Amino acid sequence: MSATVVAASGGEPVGTEPRAPASKRDLWIVFWIFPTFFGLFGVIFVLLARVIPPPRPDVTTDQKVQWFASHATTIQIGFAAVCVVFGGAAIANGYVAYQMKRMTSGPTFAYAYMGAMAVGTLPGLLLVALCFSAATFRPDREPRISAMLYDLGMLSFNGSLGCFATGYLAFAIAILYDKNQIFPKWLAYVSIWQIVTEVIATQMWVSSAGPYAWNGSIAFWLAVIVFGFWLNCQGIFLKFATDRQPAGSRPAD
Amino acid sequence: MQILAEAEELPKTTNIRTQLVALWIAAVSALILLIAYLAFPGFWPPMSPRLTAEDVAGFYRNHTAWIRFSMVTFNLCGIMLLPLFCVVVVQMKRMATQSQVFAYCYLSAVVSGATLFALADIFFAVAAFRPGRDPDLVMLLNDLGWMVFIAPVGMIVAQNLMLALAVYHDNGPTPVFPRWVGHLSLLTMFAMLPSACAMVMTGGPLAWDGAISFWLRNGAFATFVIVMFFAVRGAVRRQAREEGIAR
Repeated sequence: MSATVVAASGGEPVGTEPRAPASKRDLWIVFWIFPTFFGLFGVIFVLLARVIPPPRPDVTTDQKVQWFASHATTIQIGFAAVCVVFGGAAIANGYVAYQMKRMTSGPTFAYAYMGAMAVGTLPGLLLVALCFSAATFRPDREPRISAMLYDLGMLSFNGSLGCFATGYLAFAIAILYDKNQIFPKWLAYVSIWQIVTEVIATQMWVSSAGPYAWNGSIAFWLAVIVFGFWLNCQGIFLKFATDRQPAGSRPAD
Repeated sequence: MQILAEAEELPKTTNIRTQLVALWIAAVSALILLIAYLAFPGFWPPMSPRLTAEDVAGFYRNHTAWIRFSMVTFNLCGIMLLPLFCVVVVQMKRMATQSQVFAYCYLSAVVSGATLFALADIFFAVAAFRPGRDPDLVMLLNDLGWMVFIAPVGMIVAQNLMLALAVYHDNGPTPVFPRWVGHLSLLTMFAMLPSACAMVMTGGPLAWDGAISFWLRNGAFATFVIVMFFAVRGAVRRQAREEGIAR
């Protein structure tokens, strides 16, 4: 009987030895890192690092060098800050994977989500920081090299598709199989739209201007709108999942 | 620690043994990494960001063999420290009074952090692969290698924060780690944090060759790894005693 109760609440009670009264403070600390990190991420990438909205792909080498020169200070502050806080991404994704482990769908896709997102951090977040910092570090660098760093940075940031598509797919499938209602079913369908935007974004690798370029209305802006909606929903329902998790419980191994 | 004869074949004994094997893999690799560290001419003294492209290219031309030796060794053995952090995950999951959430977030940060370490040596080694390459390109590879090696400390910040919080929340009758492991974890985090400035600074203590960004950062991490080896070994031994398979 007790096993059924446990399965319904999406966790198992912790051992039987005497201990301090159960608290959910650890869950709440980790939960609040999610909105804090993504808030900082937005501020840094939009206001400081200048990669959202994206600089244009259809410019000459000299214009790229000029763009780095005119935004050098904020790019440098922004990406130094990224170096400090980007571990928040690992914690936020780790917490989503943790809540996915409370689902009845088995641990497979929780691990797949954690793995895909942990891999995605390098090409999707850190490489642009590295490229833009290397370009602004030496303003007198050979222009051809700075221009290559511009392309490498933007395409790794906007064009890293598969890691995230895999994460979204894992998230969607786990939700659809889950009976504990950790996340609502419709969020799975939003996640599938996220995969669709990643597939559409493949076009930025062959298109250097227009709606399908890396700054285009479809390949970039449509994807950003869907991503923003999805991320906010994920955060809100992560809060509800934290609310509902019984104190002193943990996911099954 | 001595495993009891009657416990030899139990699965929970194997769990203890594999954790100890993982610790020793990390310990041996740490020793090899220390040799590679001593052998890399670019660390003695650490290369200044203010060197000209010609000087950087000359450096890779003059020290090609030692750079190759040390970077291939870093490449081969760097990620062999990972088993140490995985034993930490296993021990964090044993902490009785909490939801295990810190362990999952710690693992996630450890994996992302390891990918960065795996990348840095490739830039240095590629620069040494063709010493006759255009100096501007050698300098680019050198810049990228130094930046990715020193500056992105965010994953270590995240993992040490999770470890410290887990230790502080582990308030049952038999804590897995002593409290000072939490303090050490935070102290290491704060010592490494300023080196993010190496993305920007071309001179002074915060540049990638500086007293804070290079010496304090790397000294703190090395000390942390060495002390954690003993702290984690202690935790595994306590686990063995608590589970009644060793005395």
